[in-house]
Amino acid sequence: MLWHITIFSISGLALVILLYRVISIARLPVHLRWELAPAPHEKSRWKYGGSYLEEQEWWNKPRRKSLLQPLKYMAVEILFLRGVWKNNRNLWPFSLSLHGGIYLTGGMLFLSPINAFLIVAGLPAEITDTLAEIISYVAVIGFLAGSAGAISLVFKRLVDPDLKPFSTAGTFFNLLLLAMVFVSGAVCWFYQGEFGDLLSLFLSKLITLEAIRVMPLTFILYVAISLLFLLYLPVSSMAHFVIKYFLYHAVRWNDEPLNARMESKLRNLLAEKPHWSAAHTGTDGQKTWGEIGNGVRDEE
Amino acid sequence: MKNNELRFREFFENADSQLVKIEINHLIPLPSPYDKSQVSAWRELDTDQRRRLVCNLDGFIAAGLPVPQNAAEEQKYIDQFVKGLKKLLSRESNWTFLQPLLLSLDFCVKCQTCCDSCHIYLASGRNALYRPAFRSEIFRRLVNKYARKSSSLLSRFGVDEIKLNWATISRLYELSYRCNLCRRCAQACPMGVDNALITRELRKLFSQELGWAPQELHEKGTQLQLKVGSPTGMKPKVVKDNLDFLDKDFSEVTGLNIATPWDKSGADVLLLPGAGDILSFPESIMAFSILCNAAGINWTLSSEAPGYDGVNYGLFYDDIQFVKIALQHARIAKKLGVKKIVMGECGHQHKAMMAVADRILTGELNIPRESSMTFLENLVFSGRIKFDPDRNNFPVTLHDPCNIVRNLGIVEPQRRILRYLCPQFREMNPHGVDNYCCGGGGGLSLLAGANFIGWKVNISGGLKFKQILAAFSDCPGSGVKKYLCAPCLNCKLQFRDLLEYYDAKEKSGIYCGGLAELIVNAMVDLKNPFITWGEY
Repeated sequence: MLWHITIFSISGLALVILLYRVISIARLPVHLRWELAPAPHEKSRWKYGGSYLEEQEWWNKPRRKSLLQPLKYMAVEILFLRGVWKNNRNLWPFSLSLHGGIYLTGGMLFLSPINAFLIVAGLPAEITDTLAEIISYVAVIGFLAGSAGAISLVFKRLVDPDLKPFSTAGTFFNLLLLAMVFVSGAVCWFYQGEFGDLLSLFLSKLITLEAIRVMPLTFILYVAISLLFLLYLPVSSMAHFVIKYFLYHAVRWNDEPLNARMESKLRNLLAEKPHWSAAHTGTDGQKTWGEIGNGVRDEE
Repeated sequence: MKNNELRFREFFENADSQLVKIEINHLIPLPSPYDKSQVSAWRELDTDQRRRLVCNLDGFIAAGLPVPQNAAEEQKYIDQFVKGLKKLLSRESNWTFLQPLLLSLDFCVKCQTCCDSCHIYLASGRNALYRPAFRSEIFRRLVNKYARKSSSLLSRFGVDEIKLNWATISRLYELSYRCNLCRRCAQACPMGVDNALITRELRKLFSQELGWAPQELHEKGTQLQLKVGSPTGMKPKVVKDNLDFLDKDFSEVTGLNIATPWDKSGADVLLLPGAGDILSFPESIMAFSILCNAAGINWTLSSEAPGYDGVNYGLFYDDIQFVKIALQHARIAKKLGVKKIVMGECGHQHKAMMAVADRILTGELNIPRESSMTFLENLVFSGRIKFDPDRNNFPVTLHDPCNIVRNLGIVEPQRRILRYLCPQFREMNPHGVDNYCCGGGGGLSLLAGANFIGWKVNISGGLKFKQILAAFSDCPGSGVKKYLCAPCLNCKLQFRDLLEYYDAKEKSGIYCGGLAELIVNAMVDLKNPFITWGEY
């Protein structure tokens, strides 16, 4: 049961840490507006970057927000790295290769438990074998693309004069860890063969809590490195795959005008007592934000 | 050293020596007759300035920090800086921007995608010091090393190349005024990281904790505005006298009866102009007066300080000052009982009052606020004023103020006016939300410094100037008068310096003015042209 305990506890721990990080960010106070055009939720205007503030007396007009456009925007951004393509074309193939590898590996991890369930459910072998074969191909393309992306980015960061000064030990650690995940997967795939079958079988044993018999060394190595990565992922900057939501939706596209719900939160925040040392601020840790503003005339 | 090489370590070494030297032959080339051989180089700092002021960055001085008297004074500032770092991460002292700051600090992947979006970096010939991410990365490393307790192991992993000393903070202070806060880099960032926001947080730390801010923004800016009503120094009586004089003067010139209304209770519109327009670009405020009167708008100006000056330099460097001024503006509008506040042609004022202050102006202070772009568009297309577009039959291009366009998404109203009223309107490239900053954004247009104007016109304004010339490339020379429409007071101040420095009026016939002036110039009722192609 060592496999079961290790995998479930590491996965659970990673999920808890990630959730904690997400909740910590979500619970940060409402901030002052700092939006940036274009905001894709603007139905007819977003293509040229327009906003509802282009309407005369906008406060008397209904807001027409698109829910679909931000999703489409983010899908292209996430899958094809639109921002890098548009603004950093030299980096794009490397970054796409890495991210493509991650997405395909993600696809593999999505399909494998399904196949494991199908195996447990006793579906005909033709179906599960076919799915295992698909998983296998998805996996190998992902491993190769990811390895190429991660390794080439390590080299690019070592030699590119733009990237080199900004590449810290942490940056290299992230890339090398990713490279190890992909390379170990690729080694297992090529050395062992029938990777999809192996993974599906492994996961089905996990799900049914059955004993996992001796696994090939290359597979054990791949799983171990992946678990290490999984544990590290939520505490690293690679958690941006989730946090990006906040950077876009809570800041860049957050142009929501003041409303009653927000106002009650803001009343609490305006009651906070800032403490800055410069004399002109008049903040001594006793006055609230609201009082600082109110006191201007009195000071004169 | 190559132009694009700068190691982080150098930033905190040798506090007394200049970190980089900007070579004029590295800058982006301008077309003839503005190529480098014909452009005068900037003024070097003299011995006295070097003795009195900290000048250890790039040979320019924007902030004008006095040299500390001894090591103890330096240490005092270093200690304050650490305290300030911690306060920036606290809810009570910085709830205003805590979430955006933490997100931008923690999730930059250091891909340098932001670099080529920065007009300063490009115009400098890709000088490494001006990378948008350079100052952010120094700040990030300082925060991780000196202000965070909990994540010591992980956050310090790989960020050893930083040291907090006098060189670091004095250079960082000056470097925080090498950014226009235009947010073009934030727009380019695939992660959504905002280096301009980080720069503004840095400026806040220096101002709110150490009391350091350029005097043009602070003593002669927000402090003066809170004390007398306006950074121009104009008190209510002086403003009223000046406008009274302008009313008479412009009535005589235009043949119209111009009377600017003051303090009308219950008016539909409170116009919140930038008082700098009254002194430097009086045609702008007069154009608004003419248009509002011609359209029969029930409008008013306020003579209560600071209600006649809509600027809020707090937006550039200090949240506390920002809050104080924004609340004052809203209170004055409330007292007058106006139905809405209309922003003057001033970019940062738009952003300050329409967006950033939106979450401060709660309850009765939440008075509707509208852009002058939409307000003017409504006047033009209301049918209440007759226009003859042929009166504007000269080349016109539009500069997009970052704070109105990229930051608020107000893109088309001003264009619809220009397409209707200016037969020779042409766009710059790029334009709209992808525009380049004028080079004076983020308060830099106000900074004169010791020799800072040389930096503003050559580096921060270089790419914009090139863009303007390209927009008018079909009609070179001074024979054809050309109008650069910049609906923003700060942009106009920057363009005034830029056009004067390059002698662009003489060489290319380029003049700069606002949007309202072009509208008035096309009015059928006007006997003489409103645009006189005179001094701006």
